[in-house]
Amino acid sequence: MDRRLFLNLLGKGLLVSSTLGIFPPLVWGKTSFDYALEGQNLIQRGDYNNALKALKEAVRLDPDSDWAFGLLGRAYRGLGRKAEAVDAFRQAVRLNPEDVYSRMMIEIMTQKPIPKLPRAKKPLSPLEKKASEEEAQMLNRLGPEAGLKYQVKRVVIDAGHGGFDSGAVGMTGLKEKDVTLDLAKRFHQRLQRRGEIKSFLTRTGDYYVPLSERTVIANQYQADLFISIHINANKKREAHGSETYFCAEKASSKEAARVASFENAVLKYDKPFKKRRGYIDIEEILFQFERKLYWSESDKLAHRFQKRFKQGLPLHSRGVHSANFYVLRRAKMPSILLETGFISNPRNESMLRQDTFREKIVDAIIRGLA
Amino acid sequence: MKNRGQGSGIRKKCVIFAILIFFCWSGIAWATDVNDLIFQGADFHYKGKLDKAIVKFQAATQIDPSNEYAHNQLGILYAKKERFNDAFREFSKVVQIDCRNTYALLWLGILYLRQNDLNNAFEKFQEIIRIDPNNADAYYYLGTIYNFRHNPAKAIEYLKKARDADSGEADTHYRLGKAFHNVDMTCNALLEYDRALRLKPSYTAAINETGWIYYNHGSYERAIKEWKKTLKINPRDRDAVLNLAKAYNDLAWKALTAGNKKEAAKYWKKTLGVNPGNKAAKYNLKKYGK
Repeated sequence: MDRRLFLNLLGKGLLVSSTLGIFPPLVWGKTSFDYALEGQNLIQRGDYNNALKALKEAVRLDPDSDWAFGLLGRAYRGLGRKAEAVDAFRQAVRLNPEDVYSRMMIEIMTQKPIPKLPRAKKPLSPLEKKASEEEAQMLNRLGPEAGLKYQVKRVVIDAGHGGFDSGAVGMTGLKEKDVTLDLAKRFHQRLQRRGEIKSFLTRTGDYYVPLSERTVIANQYQADLFISIHINANKKREAHGSETYFCAEKASSKEAARVASFENAVLKYDKPFKKRRGYIDIEEILFQFERKLYWSESDKLAHRFQKRFKQGLPLHSRGVHSANFYVLRRAKMPSILLETGFISNPRNESMLRQDTFREKIVDAIIRGLA
Repeated sequence: MKNRGQGSGIRKKCVIFAILIFFCWSGIAWATDVNDLIFQGADFHYKGKLDKAIVKFQAATQIDPSNEYAHNQLGILYAKKERFNDAFREFSKVVQIDCRNTYALLWLGILYLRQNDLNNAFEKFQEIIRIDPNNADAYYYLGTIYNFRHNPAKAIEYLKKARDADSGEADTHYRLGKAFHNVDMTCNALLEYDRALRLKPSYTAAINETGWIYYNHGSYERAIKEWKKTLKINPRDRDAVLNLAKAYNDLAWKALTAGNKKEAAKYWKKTLGVNPGNKAAKYNLKKYGK
C-alpha cells in the first residue's frame, strides 16, 4: 500500500467514525427486537423496572409488535400495575388474536377488580355538544322510578280492522271497524287530557293498516304497551261478553292456537336463527329474557284489564286467553288484544251503539292501566 | 383346574388394570404443573376444542382445587356445551373460594337471566358493583334490565356508567341509545347509535332505530336510506322490510290526499317491492292505481 492510498483510507475512516459519533442510531441503534429481547431477559431476572424501560422503547419503535406488548404486560404485572398490564395484554391480543398467553392473562387478571386507567379527554363533536345540551335540559325532568316495576308511559292504541276490512258486522249493520276506531279515539283523547301517559294511534280514519304495520308503529314510537281493540263475533248469536288475549309461548285453547297459526304464516320472511355450536350468544340470552319478560307482563296486564272489565262493564267475563300471535310477538313491548263484547249478539250490539257504554269501556281500559 | 385357571385370569386382569392406571397417572404426572395444564386448556379452548379443554381444566382443578381461573374456564366451557347446571356449579365454587371474583358473579347473573330469574340476576350484578364500582359488564346488565322494564331514567344512569367504564362495546351504546330514544332524547340516541355503528358497522338494529329518529322528525328519505342500508347487510331483515313498507304506504297516502294519484301509485308499488304480500298496498293500487 503506498502512502497516498493509506492517507486516503485513513481520511475516509475518520469521516465515517465522526459521522457515527454524531448519529450513532444510524448504524449502531438498537431495534425494537433488541429492546424486547433485553426486556425479556430482565423479566427473567426479576428486574421489572429496567425491563419496563426497555419494553416501552420496544413498543415505541415498533407499535405493531405483539411480542413486545405481551412482554410489556408481563413487566407491568411484575410491578403490580394491573390496569397497565391488562391494557398491554389487550394490545398484544389486538395485534395477534392467537396470542394465547396474553388472552389468558387478561382473563386471569380481570376475574377480580382492577383500577381504571385515566382516559384522555377529546374535544366534543357538534352532535356531542347538542347531545350534552339536550341531556342537561331533559335528564333532570325524568323521575327515576325505584324498583323493577314495569313502567307504562307510552301506549300505542290499535283500532282493529279498517278500510276494506270491516271486521265483524252486527245484525243491525254496526261494523267492528267503526266501533274500534271510535273507542281508540276516545281512549286516546282521555289519555291526552290526563297527560301522564303519551298515546299514539295506529290509524286515525277508515283505512286499512296491515297487521304487521301495527306493531311496527308501536316500535316506531318506542311504546311501553300495545293495546289492540277488537269486537268479537260468533256464529252462535247467544255468545256474549268480553275477553282479553295476550301473546304467550303456548296457546290456552285450540281456537287460540288455530288463530295464531294462521297469523304466523308470515314467518317465512324471518331469517331462521342458526344456533352456533360451542358458542354462548349473550344477546340471544338477553333477547329470550326480554321476550319472556314482555309475555309475563302481558299476562299480568291482560288479567288486570279483564278484572276491570268484569267490575266496570255489564258484560259477562269470558276470561283471559293466550296464544303465540306472531303479530303481537313482533312488538318489542307487552301487548294485549281486547275483545270488548260480541257484535253478533243483539244485546251486546245494542250496548256497543251507545255512547255511555263506550265511555264505560274506556273507563275500564284506563283503570286497567293504573 | 378350572378354579386355578379363573384365578390366573383375574391376576392377568389386575396386571392389565394396574398397567392402565400407571399409564393414566403417568400421563397426568407428565403435566403435573398446573400452569402447563391451564395453558394447554386455554389453548384448546381458544381453538374451539372444547372437550379437550374440559379435560385439561378438570385435571388442573384436581391438582389445585382452589384455582379460580380453572373453575371459571370450566364454567364457560360447560355453558358452551349447554351443561348449564355444571356451569352454575363451577362458578358457584369460584365464589365460595373468593367472593370477590366478579367474573364468576357475572356469569352467575347471566345464568340466572337465562333461567328467567330476574331478582337473583339483579342481585348478582349489584353485588359486583359493590365490589368493583368500575365494572362495565355489571352496569351493562343492570341498565339492560331497566331498559327491559321500560324504566329509561334508571337505564340511562346505569348504561352511561357502563359506557364510561368501557366505551368499546357496541351493545352498550345501542342499548343506551334505546333508553334515550324511549324518552325522546333523540340527539343523545342518535349519538349512541352512531357510536355503536362506528364500532360495528353491521349493527342493523342501530341502523333501523336511527331510521325511526329521522322518520319521526319528517326526514322520510333519510330514514328510507337507513333501512335500505340494513337490507344491503341483511336482505331478510324483517324490521327493515316492515319499516320500509310502512314508510312507503304513508308516503302514498300523503300523495293521494294531495291529489297526486300517480305519485301514490309509485309508492304503493315500492311497498310491494319490499313487502309483496302487503294487503293495503295491493288493495290501494288496485283501487287508485289506474
